[in-house]
Amino acid sequence: MKTLEDFENYFLTSLSTDLEILDKRRRLIVKRFLILIFAIFLPSIAAFIFTELIAILVAGIVGSIILYFFWVRDKLFYNDFKSQVINRIVNFISPALSYNPNGFVNLSEFKTSRIFMTSVDRYNGDDLVEGKIDRTEFRFSEIKAEYKTTTTDSKGKTRTQWHTIFRGLFVIADFNKDFTGSTVVLPNSFGHRFGFLKRIMGISRREKLVTLEDIDFTRQFNVYGDDQVQARYILSTSLMERITNFKKKHKNNIYLSFVDSRMYLGISHNNNLFEPKYLKSLTRFDVVKTYFDDLSLATGIVDDMNLNRRIWTKQ
Amino acid sequence: MLILIIVAGVLILWLIISYNSLVLKRNSAKKAFASIDVMAKKRYDLIPNLVAAVQQYMKHERETLTRITETRARATSGNISDEEKIELDQKLSRDVSGIMIAVENYPELKASANFIQLQGSLNEVEEQLSAARRFYNSAVIDLNNAIQMFPTNIVASAFSFQTKKLFESTEPERQNVDVKSLFN
Repeated sequence: MKTLEDFENYFLTSLSTDLEILDKRRRLIVKRFLILIFAIFLPSIAAFIFTELIAILVAGIVGSIILYFFWVRDKLFYNDFKSQVINRIVNFISPALSYNPNGFVNLSEFKTSRIFMTSVDRYNGDDLVEGKIDRTEFRFSEIKAEYKTTTTDSKGKTRTQWHTIFRGLFVIADFNKDFTGSTVVLPNSFGHRFGFLKRIMGISRREKLVTLEDIDFTRQFNVYGDDQVQARYILSTSLMERITNFKKKHKNNIYLSFVDSRMYLGISHNNNLFEPKYLKSLTRFDVVKTYFDDLSLATGIVDDMNLNRRIWTKQ
Repeated sequence: MLILIIVAGVLILWLIISYNSLVLKRNSAKKAFASIDVMAKKRYDLIPNLVAAVQQYMKHERETLTRITETRARATSGNISDEEKIELDQKLSRDVSGIMIAVENYPELKASANFIQLQGSLNEVEEQLSAARRFYNSAVIDLNNAIQMFPTNIVASAFSFQTKKLFESTEPERQNVDVKSLFN
């Protein structure tokens, strides 16, 4: 696994010089954007003062020309950013990985994980990375899953509201033990405890609660499984410890499930990762470092969960 | 009078619920024990293969191998108590892990494809066995708590429910973990 030090070396020796060109374009975009604001702002004032048709016309034309250039150039910059920054970092972490800025883990896979039972009304994502690290095949992307509620008020007006089910990184990895069925590990939050009521009333689709012996682990997670022995076979004492450590390291809410010899892991995140930051220089290590950090968080899962340890029958 | 009837009704209801929950817990402990049995059988099935695979290489471990075969024969003979089962099970764990350590001295054996596959299967069964034991322990803790805690202990002693012993992680099992890490 590549360390932060390795990455700093790579950044200093090769990446930063190439990023200088890209960074010039970034500065240009910011400049254009400022000009654009002035170009719209000043003629608008002129139009307001003179209220002449010609002033409005000029403002409109100037504005749309600049907007057009800004938009087209921005799109190009965006694509180049993805291929020159994110793609290169992915390849740096491991040449066996491939990156697709527009791809994402699809909805059926998200549903197969059985982590979130709410039915999804809107689903999208980006930044798909897939490949094999040593013996473990895996893929991950950013995703956002939402559901909607529609309310009708007394005047007969309907209002639609969107609620987030999950937003963040979603990882699917080949698990190192063979099994069928499902085991789900959810954060021990109030929402899930409330689900207990549903379960004893028999209206929950969730599997049965599994009580495990690791105190640190059970304080943070609730485990549900359709087979008590299998849940323990998957969640060995060492894996429970690894999950607790992973959670400690990353602070964010994490959701795991193990379905038919695969591991699913959701790390929730409130911002869109792997996107250009227009107001920060790409030649600064601390800016580029955040992309590396987020990517190695996801690729590091294979090591964090020890998935390459293949001492069982599954190879 | 009415109050007395209500109190008696509530008491009877509580008695029924407590008794049933105790039975439920006892049965799930039994079920958990049965799942250990299933995994143990899987291991018994692998033992002859293991012995066959290693005996031509291993000259100094003859004794251990004979003991393994004997233990297996006794465990699969039927008509043995749960306690005896546990004891044989642990004995087998100890001897098998001894063999696995000894394998280190036979590089040729260690490298054979046949043995590597067998080792994978044994590790898997060993891991499943430990999962089953952990399940059994959690079911037994649940049962023991109900038997010993107030107020269900009253019902438990009235119907003579008995606490069960937990599986304790024995020395060979701890060694087992070390063995596995050798193959990393």
